[in-house]
Amino acid sequence: MTIIEDRPGSGPSTDATGTEVHQERLMAMVPGPRPRSWVKFITSTDHKQIGLNYMVTAFIGFLVAGLMAEAMRTQLIVPNNHFVTLEVYNQLVTMHGTIMLFVVLGPFAFGLANYIVPLQIGAPDMAFPRFNNLSYWLYLSGFLIMLGGFLTNNGAADFGWFGYAPLTDMVHSPGPGADMWILGIALTGFSGIFTAINLITTVFCLRAPGMVMFRMPIFTWNMLVTLFLVLLAFPVLTSAFALLWSDRHLTTHFFEANGGGQPLLWQNMFWFFGHPEVYIIALPYFGVVTEVIATMSKKPVFGYKGMIGATLGIGALSMGVWAHHMYTTGAVMLPFFAAMSLLIAVPTGIKFFNWIGTMFKGVITLNTAMLFSVGFLGIFLFGGITGVVLAQPPLDFQLHMTYFVVAHFHYVVMALIFGVFSAIYYWFPKFTGRMLDERLGKLSFALLFIGVNLTFFPQHDLGLRGMSRRIATYDGNLGYNFENLLSSLGAYITGLGVIPTIINVWKSLRTGAIAGDNPWDGQTLEWATSSPPPDHNFESLPPIRSERPLWDATHPDELTRAGH
Amino acid sequence: MSTISASLLATDLGSPHGATADDHWVHHLWNVTYIIGTPLAAIVLGLIIWCLVRYRARPGDTRRPPQFQYHIPLEVTYTLVPLALVAIVFAFMYVPENKITDLPKSPALTVTAEGFQWGYRFVYPNGHQETGSYSSVTNIDDETDLPTLYLPEGKTVEIKIVSDDVVHGFYIPGFLYQRDMIPGVNNVMKINVTRTGRFIGECDNLCGVYHAYMRFAVDVMPQAQYTAWYASQQPGSIHNWTPNATPSNEQAAGK
Repeated sequence: MTIIEDRPGSGPSTDATGTEVHQERLMAMVPGPRPRSWVKFITSTDHKQIGLNYMVTAFIGFLVAGLMAEAMRTQLIVPNNHFVTLEVYNQLVTMHGTIMLFVVLGPFAFGLANYIVPLQIGAPDMAFPRFNNLSYWLYLSGFLIMLGGFLTNNGAADFGWFGYAPLTDMVHSPGPGADMWILGIALTGFSGIFTAINLITTVFCLRAPGMVMFRMPIFTWNMLVTLFLVLLAFPVLTSAFALLWSDRHLTTHFFEANGGGQPLLWQNMFWFFGHPEVYIIALPYFGVVTEVIATMSKKPVFGYKGMIGATLGIGALSMGVWAHHMYTTGAVMLPFFAAMSLLIAVPTGIKFFNWIGTMFKGVITLNTAMLFSVGFLGIFLFGGITGVVLAQPPLDFQLHMTYFVVAHFHYVVMALIFGVFSAIYYWFPKFTGRMLDERLGKLSFALLFIGVNLTFFPQHDLGLRGMSRRIATYDGNLGYNFENLLSSLGAYITGLGVIPTIINVWKSLRTGAIAGDNPWDGQTLEWATSSPPPDHNFESLPPIRSERPLWDATHPDELTRAGH
Repeated sequence: MSTISASLLATDLGSPHGATADDHWVHHLWNVTYIIGTPLAAIVLGLIIWCLVRYRARPGDTRRPPQFQYHIPLEVTYTLVPLALVAIVFAFMYVPENKITDLPKSPALTVTAEGFQWGYRFVYPNGHQETGSYSSVTNIDDETDLPTLYLPEGKTVEIKIVSDDVVHGFYIPGFLYQRDMIPGVNNVMKINVTRTGRFIGECDNLCGVYHAYMRFAVDVMPQAQYTAWYASQQPGSIHNWTPNATPSNEQAAGK
């Protein structure tokens, strides 16, 4: 491969001042003036710039959908409240879910993968850089279009993020908000498919010499499996949305019972996408915490190959569990889907033991990135166990569509949000060349950890008491009041917890300590280049003889042993 | 202390004291889940916290930990043990699942429950209907004007579950059971309520603007009282619970 040798230079330096000199020299090699940041934002095909575009956009989506959640929790703080109207509440429910799923968790991971995967495999860029730029613009358009629904006459879509037919038809949802929702999700779906094609090709075709598949870092492996799931699941979603659009505008009856169609078909198509989607958003953050835990424990990933096997197992099983969202329809085969749903707990459990094994006998630096990763473990563990409860049809008959379910999946997705924060604190030095402030980071972690648990723990009990989800207001006589109050207070604390991180990023971009190339004693190749990396990423690469090439380069006295 | 636990925890840590002939199965599964899940969660969480405390880096720590990576017997163990645990959960679950979803050969009574935006209609074998829906004066804190399903105590009743328009839910928290009301799907469930009294039911599928107000009540009476009530209902009569009632379909259309 020519990429290693085609640039002059003395290789990466860990010395901070040395790095700056180094970068200046590289910049001088590119003819013409450096583009302004907004020109770069629009035109750049550099995977790092596009990755940052994704991550910043996704974080803005997180703030927007988070404010919607605060509005909903304010509505529910007391029974029979009138903070927002019933119509607006339904729109908030729908758009909060849609944005968090389609704009925040998935695309943040895609952006992170855009930035990190080519670096981790020693590639100069993605396989199709312009295609990559197109993906981002489709994604941004999709986000803006679905959000634009709020500006229309009847407001945004208001039938829940899984939009069960026939509530989504022209009779029950006549406004353009629903069409903008369909179009917006379809565009983000195409963006996801294109990103998947791009990254899979990159991983298969652009790995540096020596970087065989079983030397790829876990984050890259998890992204690879995730993106195969994207390729399997997203086209089904896009088809379902095409059929729905056709029902709305071409008077077809795919999902209309009175025209010979089947509303249940929508549920099957949607969840055939929807459950792999859960793992599409989860696997990348499993990868993030694996990287963080290994680096901060100064150890290799325990059971590296077993962990890859577990990831592949989750990927395979996730295609066969969709109907556990449909136990109460009376139209699915309960024992099969129950067995599959219980089985998927096994590879997830294996990962927990991998993480514990990685920490065992390590020297653990408990900084903010590590705190968020450990927070991820605790919160995800709880969400996983309530998942085993809900996987049992007789218990699901009791709890389906109640606040117990809301609590369960928010424990799962808030764990993933902890993964987002962990990724920000871990890779920010690589993105910007500057460190984030630890004190603000730990404050952010403490508020978020308390807030998330206070918000969602009481919701389990609300579900056991029989409070259904998505109700815009509730009866004050049924014992729901106190726990809703707790939950709303928790939501405010969670909201406050995001603020220190925003201030931290803002401040550290200007005044943060200079990071150098490898501030964490990292093990993988993204730490082998300057921070931020130059165009085309590497001056030279260390030899790749294990899954920890940089560790081997920086600790030549103790090379990573291959195999067992 | 008991007031605190009453205001914080609904029902005995989730193991429900329900009111139906089948709810001991649900109770049983909760117990299995607790017995397996609680120690497992405690062990995993304990290991994580223990590792963090025991192996934390001290300030200025430059030690390099041992770089071990594989331990095949351990890896096999932590694969097989979870596998065995979920197999146990599945084995305990299989029979209760069938018991709960089985339908009776000769039910004592068959009622049809119809959901519509935003109310319920219960149709008895003689054509008598109990119906009610959201109206402009519906107050969410008032449970007295909900459409009511009358059932006899201690009898296995079959309920046919259908929807007139969009997907609704037929969920009675006290019975620990629910079924979806889906247009185009004719669902059937059985229920045997072993306690007299009034239970609140609700729609738990987002079904439009007044979803939160779509509720019903179930009134379970001793058999003799039920027979007397049923005998006093004219065949084909309609009892509408909604104050200032307008026919529900017009109301839905005129939203």
